[in-house]
Amino acid sequence: MRAFLLESLEQLRDHLAAQRPLFTPQFAADSSEPSWLPLSHNTPSVAIEQPLLPAYPAKQFFFPEREILFRFDGTDFKETLPKPAPQILFGVRSCDLCAIAYQDQFFQQDPYYQARRKATLLVGIDCQLPCEGGFCPTVDAGPFVRDGMADLVCHQQGDHWLLITQTSEGEALLEGLDLKAAAEEGITQRRSQEPQVAAQFPSATHIERGIQRINQSQVPAELWQTMGLQCLSCSGCTSLCPTCSCFTSYDRPVDDGFERERCWDSCLYDAFQREASGHNPSAAAGQRVERFWFHKFSDEYIKTFGRYGCTGCGRCEKTCPGVIGVHSVMKRISATP
Amino acid sequence: MNGLMTPQLIRISEIYDDGEAARHFTFEPVSGTRHSARPGQFFTLAIPGHGEAAFTYLSLPDAQGRFKALIRRVGALTSALFECGHGDLIGFRGPFGNSWPLEQLLGKRVLIIAGGIGLPPLAAVTDRLSTDGNTPVGLIYGCRSPAEQVLKHERSAWHASMPILETFDRPSNKGQLTGTPLDHTQQMSAKLGGSPEAILSCGPEVMMNAAARHFIKNNLPPEKIWLALERRMHCGVGECGHCYLGSSTVCTDGPIYSWQQLIRLQSQTTA
Amino acid sequence: MDADRDNISRIIHTICPFCGVGCGIGLRVEQEKITGVEPLTSHPVSQGKLCAKGWSTAYAVDPIDRITTPLIKENGSFRPASWDEAYQLITEAFSTAITEQGADAVGVIACARATNEDCYAAQKFARAALGTNNIDHCARICHSPSVAGLRQTLGSGAMTNSIDDIEKADLIVIFGCDPTENHSVLGGRIIRAKMAGARLLVVDPRLTRLARMADLHLQLQLGTNIALINGLLQIIFANGWEAAEFLNERCENEAALRAKVAGYPPKRVTAITGVPEEKLIAAARMYAKADRALLTYGMGITQYTTGTNNVISISNLALVAGQIGREGTGINPLRGQNNVQGACDMGALPNVFPGYQEVAQQTSRDKFADHWQKKLPENKGLTSLGMTKGALSGEVRCMLIMGEDPVVTDPDQHHVQRALEALDLLVVIELVMTETAAMADLILPAAAFSEKAGTFTNCERRVQLIQPAIAAPGEAKPDWQILGELASRLGYHGMDWPNAEAIFNEITALSPLYQGMSYLKLAENYGLQWPCNEQAPNGTPLLHRQQFSRGKGRLIPVSHADPAEMPDEAYPLFFTTTRLHYHYGCGSMTRKSPLLERETPSGVLFINPADAQALAIKPQTKVRISSRRGEVETRAVITDEVPPGTVAMPYHFKEAPSNRLTNTAQDPVTKMPELKACAVRVTNLEEASQ
Repeated sequence: MRAFLLESLEQLRDHLAAQRPLFTPQFAADSSEPSWLPLSHNTPSVAIEQPLLPAYPAKQFFFPEREILFRFDGTDFKETLPKPAPQILFGVRSCDLCAIAYQDQFFQQDPYYQARRKATLLVGIDCQLPCEGGFCPTVDAGPFVRDGMADLVCHQQGDHWLLITQTSEGEALLEGLDLKAAAEEGITQRRSQEPQVAAQFPSATHIERGIQRINQSQVPAELWQTMGLQCLSCSGCTSLCPTCSCFTSYDRPVDDGFERERCWDSCLYDAFQREASGHNPSAAAGQRVERFWFHKFSDEYIKTFGRYGCTGCGRCEKTCPGVIGVHSVMKRISATP
Repeated sequence: MNGLMTPQLIRISEIYDDGEAARHFTFEPVSGTRHSARPGQFFTLAIPGHGEAAFTYLSLPDAQGRFKALIRRVGALTSALFECGHGDLIGFRGPFGNSWPLEQLLGKRVLIIAGGIGLPPLAAVTDRLSTDGNTPVGLIYGCRSPAEQVLKHERSAWHASMPILETFDRPSNKGQLTGTPLDHTQQMSAKLGGSPEAILSCGPEVMMNAAARHFIKNNLPPEKIWLALERRMHCGVGECGHCYLGSSTVCTDGPIYSWQQLIRLQSQTTA
Repeated sequence: MDADRDNISRIIHTICPFCGVGCGIGLRVEQEKITGVEPLTSHPVSQGKLCAKGWSTAYAVDPIDRITTPLIKENGSFRPASWDEAYQLITEAFSTAITEQGADAVGVIACARATNEDCYAAQKFARAALGTNNIDHCARICHSPSVAGLRQTLGSGAMTNSIDDIEKADLIVIFGCDPTENHSVLGGRIIRAKMAGARLLVVDPRLTRLARMADLHLQLQLGTNIALINGLLQIIFANGWEAAEFLNERCENEAALRAKVAGYPPKRVTAITGVPEEKLIAAARMYAKADRALLTYGMGITQYTTGTNNVISISNLALVAGQIGREGTGINPLRGQNNVQGACDMGALPNVFPGYQEVAQQTSRDKFADHWQKKLPENKGLTSLGMTKGALSGEVRCMLIMGEDPVVTDPDQHHVQRALEALDLLVVIELVMTETAAMADLILPAAAFSEKAGTFTNCERRVQLIQPAIAAPGEAKPDWQILGELASRLGYHGMDWPNAEAIFNEITALSPLYQGMSYLKLAENYGLQWPCNEQAPNGTPLLHRQQFSRGKGRLIPVSHADPAEMPDEAYPLFFTTTRLHYHYGCGSMTRKSPLLERETPSGVLFINPADAQALAIKPQTKVRISSRRGEVETRAVITDEVPPGTVAMPYHFKEAPSNRLTNTAQDPVTKMPELKACAVRVTNLEEASQ
């Protein structure tokens, strides 16, 4: 791990973009909607005013919403592994980086995921301000980038940036940039600053208490049913959740046979577990809502992943039409006697 | 060589009907690549254009790599499979999942309790235990009616080496046993020379749960009761999420669970 | 992931193509394919939310199954053809029919999913190029009674308030619909309002999701809306809860209404509707005494032979209680399709030009004739069902159907099929091979919403821009362009527009409602709500603020009437049709999603546990449903969502078409068929084998 001084974020970004295709959160189509978009060589360098939380986390770069697994050409099954060109994701916030680390582990043996993942270098960015609905400090997912979660990390210090290398691949990308090594105290200062930024986040006692109640099985079944009634099975939470990974697959006809496509699924859908016989072990919406939050907050998963399945990004709250995103649910859970 | 998600071709080498809308299929390898499997494991079959589904081994791969499955026509994929004939090539992936705990069963008095279509997942382990010579094993097979019974050939083969009781909700003639499998455990214990020391069960969840509770009440430890569960298994490798059961995935941690494990998993959520 | 990916990966902001809520979506385009959807947090309607349909938009427009060239049917199967050949064939057949029998021998069905520009082109094509007012679309079978009813009472047949007003109301009344299923994002706004303290009053024969959440649910018998509302009005007047000042100043004909509803005392109303008296009184008090009560309704009001009168009685209720003309109140019909409001606004209806300017009025005819440089027909045009009837009688010989699937969505399927078969020529403009397209003599490939520019008008009258994200596959092109080219072949050159914007400019020149709009202004404002003109340059979120469009709000006494077909000995159960969250219309878009398709495979019958028990029906039992018009086989789902004595079927599935059963009995005013109620018999098909 080494640290350098960086004059501006744009300097690093444009240097990296000259080497490989680079994706970074940008406002799409002259709007105020941040999306993951390629940095175009054709447009002049855009200034980065603040780190943006894009609508989607970064998961679709490795686990795309729809992906062909294999083809059947009429005689045999042919695996179709992706052959991705190297790329860089720039400006990934800590919550989304923690989710990438979580999915790296979940998809450890998945060749499709791993092919895309191995072709990608991650440039993380430390968040200096709380974002709307975000609670990463409560679930140990931010606000600063955790060690080992990115190839490079950018950290603002006054009018300049601290650039920390976390992998040799990341450091190799810096070749050609004439950077001054940062003083040790810059790094110490970063460490001591994180609690101060974390302290600016609004109180999240409802999340803490909710996690406790879920793990002590103290949530009444009726409350799950009541909240289940509010689940419109839209799949918004599972689409935007950075750690959600459920998929289904189906055969699509193509010219000379079929291809098997896997696509994102949602455990909130009624038929997610329905068997061919019609039997459904999770037929009640309340069961499915409970399952979703169990999967995000049960201690059981810490054994495997070293952390909760929730990284505190708050996207589910924003996209849930039924008012059962993370804050709404945890407030109700924590309010039960 | 295809990886995790991509099937390899196998050939349907034999087909015959057995029971209500159920059919025996024998499969053989196409490319000469054979695989081995343990009793209780499962595999998936893919029919291009119709997707993929999970099935249990009725018999494990033999020296030529041939294995069998009993398949019931219930949905789109099995309907397509029933359209297939002798010699047709389809896709295969497997084996997946855990297996019956053979090492803990050998030499013990083992009672196998099957309900309806729950018999096939128990067939390979029954084969193994009934020919062990050292393991007293008995089977109680419960069905709604005689028409629902499957594995006629297998059952008549087992009859030679082990006690079998067959019972029905609605028997078709007077000589047949009536009631649930649990109504006949005393009779089976007598044949086995004592109360069972291990239970293996597969069938409707209501039946399996009742059986587990019955033997718990009779002082059998929960870690000596094993049940084979059914869930919508899809990918077989614990990724797609469909077969969750509490914090476990049935396709990798199961399909065989001890009652002890199940109690724990069921206590994780309220449902 | 290729090196040049950065040049081709993009997000295009547009409007969801499904229901009338009009959510904002970003289409993700990678390598010239639409690979996904992003929600838009800054969009005023959807605010970062979408429903299951919206999230699956990429599947709906998947190039798989798309029709990419003109297709001509020969010996029962389709072969690709050139545009020239296709246009030639259409021109000949339409010209022959017109020459031999007059222009009313041909007709056009426009489409509530197409853009305003497409719909405008369709009605101009019918009126100016063909010379007939035989132009209609599927609003006929959803909200034609809203248009007809509210025009009589208020002067304008659209949602009076805005979606934002849901969260300004302290009482939300949901009449005959389940917005959480069909208009989920709007339904979610209702849930949000409820969570924030608003009360919910649900009037529905079904125990819907919102009914389960409601403070009060009036579970009335199918087809008893008018009796119920007259009963509520009787209670309101009897207790002096009416908004007296509002009635005096802004309404007319109060005495006649009072006289009529006096005949509906609670006892009688309870007998007709099955709703207990105390609930009637509680509901009347709740609505009349609320500070701001917003009423919303759907097909449970309109799809009856009394559809127009049902709408009128809704209007009576809101006027008497003074719950209109202010924020957080109003009468708010939920429009079904993404652009059914726009298709009506565009005059894709037999009786009105764009902007609801009456065909029957000489001044409007002159205005349009002048602008279009063509003498226009005076004859009253046929409705869609009129055209199918005309096809059977030989009165109508050629039809052009633009993107609708009446074989699945219209009542009495057998009748529709016979009618379409009887035509000399059926032309269908479509994306995919629907049931209706399969019956066509000729199919023309259309561009999808993601492949063209244009505008959609949502249910709150918000006109919004859509943007092309990718090129149309093969030779597919926008409907307006196809119609323009066809018009030229027929000798009419007033439709040679260079682009969609040129059409929109023609619309704003002719329709006072859209007068103050332009593509630029729409882009700047996330759309604008009509009327938008000099008086309201930024649009009108709230209608009827100072006075009603027609001046005074008119109270019109109406009487209860039973549905045309009531259960009897032979057909002992009431049958109603419903919609599912996961599907949209005939399913031609939503059923391309493997997820949505999995959710409800090929149709179901919803039946109450009591009825199921009587027929020995278990979950998933195979059943036959028979009516006097036909029969359908499907599987049973047992649920207390439907009351005893009533069974329900979603109408999306061609494998189990509920419209084989439904009644063509019509509302006399709008010809709306009675899709919500008929009598059926249910047979358990597995009983014999057990």
